[in-house]
Amino acid sequence: MSKLYVHAVPPPDLNKNTEWFMYPGVWTTYILILFFSWLVVLSLFGCTPGMAWTIVNLCHFVVTYHFFHWKKGTPFAEDQGIYNGLTWWEQIDNGKQLTRNRKFLTVVPVVLYLIASHTTDYQHPMLALNTLAVFILVVAKFPNMHKVRIFGINGDH
Amino acid sequence: MITIPYLTALTTYFSYGLLFAFGQIRDLFRKILDWWSADNLQGYAPICLGLEDFYIRRLYLRIQDCFGRPIASAPDAWIDVVERYSNDNNKTLKRTTNINRCLNLGSYNYLGFAASDEYCTPRVFRSLETFSASTCSTCVDGGTTVLHNELEECVAKFVGKPAAVVFGMGYVTNSAILPVLIGKGGLIISDSLNHNSIVNGARGSGATIRVFLHNTPSHLEEVLREQIAEGQPRTHRPWKKIIVVVEGIYSMEGELCKLPEIIAVCKKYKAYTYLDEAHSIGAVGKTGRGVCELLGVDTADVDIMMGTFTKSFGSCGGYIAGSKELIQYLKYTCPAHLYATSISPPAAQQIISAIKVILGEDGSSRGAQKLARIRENSNFFRSELQKMGFEVLGDNDSPIMPIMLYNPAKIPAFSRECLKQNVAIVTVAFPATPLLLARARICISAAHTKEDLIKALEVISQVGDLVGIKYFPAEPKKQQEEDGRLKLD
Repeated sequence: MSKLYVHAVPPPDLNKNTEWFMYPGVWTTYILILFFSWLVVLSLFGCTPGMAWTIVNLCHFVVTYHFFHWKKGTPFAEDQGIYNGLTWWEQIDNGKQLTRNRKFLTVVPVVLYLIASHTTDYQHPMLALNTLAVFILVVAKFPNMHKVRIFGINGDH
Repeated sequence: MITIPYLTALTTYFSYGLLFAFGQIRDLFRKILDWWSADNLQGYAPICLGLEDFYIRRLYLRIQDCFGRPIASAPDAWIDVVERYSNDNNKTLKRTTNINRCLNLGSYNYLGFAASDEYCTPRVFRSLETFSASTCSTCVDGGTTVLHNELEECVAKFVGKPAAVVFGMGYVTNSAILPVLIGKGGLIISDSLNHNSIVNGARGSGATIRVFLHNTPSHLEEVLREQIAEGQPRTHRPWKKIIVVVEGIYSMEGELCKLPEIIAVCKKYKAYTYLDEAHSIGAVGKTGRGVCELLGVDTADVDIMMGTFTKSFGSCGGYIAGSKELIQYLKYTCPAHLYATSISPPAAQQIISAIKVILGEDGSSRGAQKLARIRENSNFFRSELQKMGFEVLGDNDSPIMPIMLYNPAKIPAFSRECLKQNVAIVTVAFPATPLLLARARICISAAHTKEDLIKALEVISQVGDLVGIKYFPAEPKKQQEEDGRLKLD
């Protein structure tokens, strides 16, 4: 297989927690991880493809909500806590809204929702759960929700 | 510009994702187990938030044996590395009394002054007897000896500036000078890959910090224009001062700075320039005077020149060179000069003697030989590595060559396999480099002989095949061998 090469230019971002997202190949890896986890769920549970997509969608909801919108700060101490009040979503691209990365990350839950609801034929319990998941994820990613803490949940002390 | 094979990029993201997932699962179990066992620290706040040391606990500690290896000799071309073992999967490491004699490809020993030298070491012993190991005082109180004054004049003459001031530690030179030079209302524009000491000093100064794309003068001009037009944040008043900070050789890339273009941009917009020559002073340039000599830049165009003595002079400490007024101002205000102990006298004597050797003032041509040897060694090593198919960064003439590894699992594999074959290599991962661009960094020295380099090349080639880091196709074999084969047929 002939090798495909990509060029990586270090982006001018001082925040080492989010800088890795600006290199080539991240989007492809994200999509491939979702696809392979669908295959793994299908092989482990032996359920219908639609059910597998629903499970993938719900796990994706839990994982991305926890790491993008709940956990605050950075996993290393060199930053000395300057990002301790910001979630990962609020840190990427230095806080600039509506960049290409943010648009991509907003579209992925919607596409997952469409695939999951289509393959389960819009049946009742799965549809409600999927809709809840996509609603929470997309609303959390709106530019107006930057640094907003509803009812002080997950706010700073 | 780093060229990554696409598949390697995908597998690197996946590996880090897997390591992160396992780390989180282990943390979850640790939290559950700790909730069961009671502790007697009720009411105390935790020392650090759980997330803050996640990288150290779950990623760094797994491969801890590749970092911080204790050594038992001077860091010459060959070095004694102490063996360590671990009983609890690398959480704690215990030293043994065995030592391995390894080829040293990791120390910053560019001109070979790190070990005993025939001119420098006797003079260092004499100064140790006269002045003792420490001045036991700050520069202002009682710590300025004749050696310190001689050293400052020597450094100023060597670098090509009117005056210089010397500090006891290189990291502190950057982090204590930047807050003194600029404060709130000023702007610091720094290269995106600057060293941690500059980032720390810039954060401590209180000035606004902006970053420009690594070594790209056009982006620097864009950032300057945008910032000068906007002014200070919120008030939009003009900036009090603008300082652009760049390095001579970037220690993780081995690249030279595009100094002439950057100086031209800074002059156009009347910004001050601060050049950090930690790795380039003494190692590049025809007479070892650094990047300014190599790239043909007049030293009067760079406002503040900073450097360290750890790399090419075999000592410790750092210096700032600039105009007489600047140095006088620094001596009155810089906390590293007023409150920190001055540089140790034997270390100062080592630097003075090393500079004399480099300039040829000791009466021999060893300095010129060393400079020529390090240039030859670096160019030979780099071209051979590239012919073998490794991805090597850095410009020609630069003694630092990082070999790209990318995948996190290849970092300990490369390091441990090389150590088994008695080659000591430094591997660098996050956070010194970007998360995905882990590398093994080789520092060539003038003390390496041709045989040492050939042995190193064999070992690296073997280990590279084993670990799988020859990302580029190797160059075809030489013409003579092909002719030989044709004749046999």
